Amino acid sequence: MYPTLSLGPFVFPTAGIAYLLGIWLSLTLIERAAKRLHLNVEAVYGVAVTGLLVGFVAARLLFVMEYWAAFQENLLGIIWPLTSGYNVAAGVFFGAAGAFFYGRYKQLPFWSTLDALAPGLLGALITISLADFLAGPGYGKLTTMPWGVSVFGIRRHPIQLYEIAIGLLALLLWRQATELHVHDPQAAARRTFPGQAFLLTAVLYSTGRLFVETFRDNAWLTANGYHVVQVISLLALLGSLVLLARFSMMQPSLPTAENL
Amino acid sequence: MLRNKYEWAIWIVVAALLGVGWIFLSKEDVRKAQTLTLTEAPIVGHLAPDFTLPNTFGETYTLSNYRGQPVVLNFWASWCGPCRVEMPFFERTQMKFNGRVTILGVNQGEPVATIRDFGARQDIGYPLLVDENNDVNLRYTINSLPTTIFVDADGVVREVVVGVVTQAVLEDRLESLLAETP
Repeated sequence: MYPTLSLGPFVFPTAGIAYLLGIWLSLTLIERAAKRLHLNVEAVYGVAVTGLLVGFVAARLLFVMEYWAAFQENLLGIIWPLTSGYNVAAGVFFGAAGAFFYGRYKQLPFWSTLDALAPGLLGALITISLADFLAGPGYGKLTTMPWGVSVFGIRRHPIQLYEIAIGLLALLLWRQATELHVHDPQAAARRTFPGQAFLLTAVLYSTGRLFVETFRDNAWLTANGYHVVQVISLLALLGSLVLLARFSMMQPSLPTAENL
Repeated sequence: MLRNKYEWAIWIVVAALLGVGWIFLSKEDVRKAQTLTLTEAPIVGHLAPDFTLPNTFGETYTLSNYRGQPVVLNFWASWCGPCRVEMPFFERTQMKFNGRVTILGVNQGEPVATIRDFGARQDIGYPLLVDENNDVNLRYTINSLPTTIFVDADGVVREVVVGVVTQAVLEDRLESLLAETP
């Protein structure tokens, strides 16, 4: 909708700017979250940067290897342009693996580290939605609602803005869920469990995406017409609920309704 | 936080049922294109914006002349690595569906000589169109290369793919579009 930003004689691609700002935002959120949760800030920051770099390089290299015949004539094409040509699945897999092993190397507690990474992951998801809104191919279904946005003269659901709103709500929930860590770390250790903030935000975000995906017009569908993002969201929601149940029942000193 | 395992079980089952129900309610009719035939826009369900562009030999191609058969618009540039990846797929597809579909490679902002040399070197047989001022690229809001747009026999945009299209995806989409073509 707004693919470029003109400043005097210069024209900048808004999606590229959004991604750069998103990386900065995500890393800043992770740094602050690690401080808030009294974790090793440098090590947690290292986990995020490792995941980002390994994921980026792996996604590109796997793509180049897959289509080597097309790149061997033009080796410069491997490093430029970088706007497309990634094996996303490989990037996610190797990025997560890189982050995991870096965390192990730094002896970071797994679930507490995920609690600290949650705001950064949300920041990244918000950025993807923002870039899609500004210059991406996504758009919502037709609507007569007053908050609809005009896409080529036709009013449509601002699907990416819905996704951003869910991300912001999940960030607020994360903040609320970690409030005790700021004011009373000892009470937080007794009354919450590692992974709680991450899982709660995962429940809220996946529920939201499950709901709003219905309003996307150019959705990724299965052969039968089901929304793939909804299926992934439901699996994430149920997985998070099961883990929340398991961890909360394992935590002996959690308050019950009787002694609250 | 809930403590009782039965309370948790109830919540998880309720979430699963509501989620599955919502997914069923949201199911799309994959055969139906939302045809808004009055407006031209480079997005699914709208008429593909019409254009006339020359190839590297000066012959002109007009999109609306191809009504009656599926058309694939591939936006590309010679400096774009991923574009080079997929161009052999388009070439093979053009040969496989000989005469039943049209593939048009719309270049982004390069001079005729560059496109002609590139086409000869890569042995590209389908038309490579020259859009030196990017007029058509701008009309189709091409922000990322490669971008491929599938247009059905009625001239309606059916799918926009940003990034590389594989041979399998190309053939699958074209067979679907051909099956609908009278």
